Amino acid sequence: MIEGITIGIGAAFSGYNILMVMIGCFAGTIIGTLPGLGPMSAIALMIPITYGFDPASAMIMMAGVYYGAIFGGSTSSILINAPGVAGTVSSSFDGYPLARSGQAGKALAIAAYSSFAGGTIAAIFLLIAAPQLAKVSLSFQSADYFALMCVGLLAIAAFASKGQFLKAMIMTALGLALATVGQDSLSDITRFTFGNINLMDGISFVLLVMATFAMSEAFMIIFKKKSISFKASDASAKKLGSIKLTKQEVKEIAPVIGRSSILGFFVGVLPGAGATIASFLAWGFERTIAPVKERLNFGKGSIKGLAAPETANNAACTGSFVPLLTLGIPGSGTTAVMLGALLSFGVQPGPRLYVEQPEIFWAVIISMYIGNIVLLILNLPLIPYIARILAIPQKILVPLVLFFSVTGVYLISFNSFDIYFMAIVALISLVLRVIDYPMPPLILGFILGGMIEKNLRRALIINDGSYSFLWERPISLTLFIIMIIIILIQVYQGLIKKN
Amino acid sequence: MRINLSRISALIFLLLFSIYSYLSGEIKVFTFDVDAPFNAKTFPRLISYIGILFSFLALIFSKNEDEPVSQYEWLKVFVLFVLVFSYGLIIKTAGFFLSTNLFLIIAYYYLGVRSIKLIFFCSVPVVAGLQFLLHELLDVYIRDPLLQSIGIIS
Repeated sequence: MIEGITIGIGAAFSGYNILMVMIGCFAGTIIGTLPGLGPMSAIALMIPITYGFDPASAMIMMAGVYYGAIFGGSTSSILINAPGVAGTVSSSFDGYPLARSGQAGKALAIAAYSSFAGGTIAAIFLLIAAPQLAKVSLSFQSADYFALMCVGLLAIAAFASKGQFLKAMIMTALGLALATVGQDSLSDITRFTFGNINLMDGISFVLLVMATFAMSEAFMIIFKKKSISFKASDASAKKLGSIKLTKQEVKEIAPVIGRSSILGFFVGVLPGAGATIASFLAWGFERTIAPVKERLNFGKGSIKGLAAPETANNAACTGSFVPLLTLGIPGSGTTAVMLGALLSFGVQPGPRLYVEQPEIFWAVIISMYIGNIVLLILNLPLIPYIARILAIPQKILVPLVLFFSVTGVYLISFNSFDIYFMAIVALISLVLRVIDYPMPPLILGFILGGMIEKNLRRALIINDGSYSFLWERPISLTLFIIMIIIILIQVYQGLIKKN
Repeated sequence: MRINLSRISALIFLLLFSIYSYLSGEIKVFTFDVDAPFNAKTFPRLISYIGILFSFLALIFSKNEDEPVSQYEWLKVFVLFVLVFSYGLIIKTAGFFLSTNLFLIIAYYYLGVRSIKLIFFCSVPVVAGLQFLLHELLDVYIRDPLLQSIGIIS
């Protein structure tokens, strides 16, 4: 192992690979900031560029793009409430209200520090425990994954819905239903396409995210005459506010960062879970354990509510490399794209990678430290410039947000149908948002729909169609109990409100 | 029970999930899969049950409050929606550069920008820059008959 780390340090600290990390982080930040272009499309675009590179450099660059895009996504989440990536949706819950209250600089600084801390702490975990952690994820079976994802969905509905649990559950079901559109992954039977060939491959995730967040947000700005959601005219560079944190604020977020790093990393390690669940869970967890007075501030500009998802999503990004590198299983959609890239280089990720090509395995891990440092150095000085997006008048910003959203979707498919569909979804989302239907549960339901179905299928086939797996396996049982507790808490809170 | 927007929306969702449930039953599965523990119908059917349950609960337990909706800019949003839709209609025939510029210029003007300089600088260089980035740096080809006809792109 020591020999492998030495080789990894040698490779990662070569001038060429440091340059690759820097280019990757910079490109990722810029692309991630643009609504609609998340890490998946950024990495996909990088694949042809990296064909001439050796596999280690290519992976290092892509890892940089990944981190950069996640941070860039946070920037657009915080500043314009338009997350380019699902993993940064929860950053907008508190980041956006902070920006609206004239503390955009502070919100971005918290995001930068939290991302750095989360990424770095998780990289230490990864370095120490990569092989052992792989064993933990190996012990998870389909039934456990199914239960874990159900917990994730319930937790989001419960914690991210601002007291609208029933509406959040309806949106979750709607997201799951939308995920079933297209060909069934196993049998290839088409479902709910109504004979439309454009729906055969299902609904694009980017389309749905852009429509429900970026485009509907742009519509919302216009929809509410004196926009409360978009005070672009007030948000000049002068109102950015300081990027410095007080001692008290650092003291407040430090334990949150510690907890969220651990949570984010372990959730990221589980294949299929990834940054989205990690960030939502971290936000929900911090909200749950916060004192009642502080809890009320969550969703309204709490610095803890911002630090938690920001830390967790970066920690989960690092964690998601564990199953990719050691098991050959992608931990997220983005690492799935990376898996494709590795295969195109003739590199087969899995346990043998650790033995046969340690330079790739360890160089990627070591480069994560470099990536986090580069991101911090790159992003902190740029915060005032990035935040100036807020100073753009809304009559300029709205068409630009619409343009980037439409282009982001169109560039994936080059299909006009996606633009029509996106506009319709955005209009429906706008109406739903006006009557307090939360969008994050819909997105999470949509993202997890396919994975939940796959794991439920396996679990049911193994158990001859019986749902007893939910209480027969210890891990599933624990998760099942957590689900019941979440529901009981909601019922209890509902009864208290009524009385 | 008072009728309000939350209840109406819950009722719409109830109908929607009922239709979804019906359509789930209509999914044609392979003969050998009909009695399998899991087939293409199973998951949609489960989702429809969840959807129906929660829509029904929302219909019953929604608060008796009326949400004011009249003060909003419905017309402006609808015009922007039509504009996005029209953009989708012409993007293939007019090409990316022309259609995107038209979209941006009309949107800026409609939303109240009157400075020709500002409209120009916020549209043409932005679109040209993005197209250059995609074509020259990222090798992403976007079909553009106008730029092809005047020889700017091959």
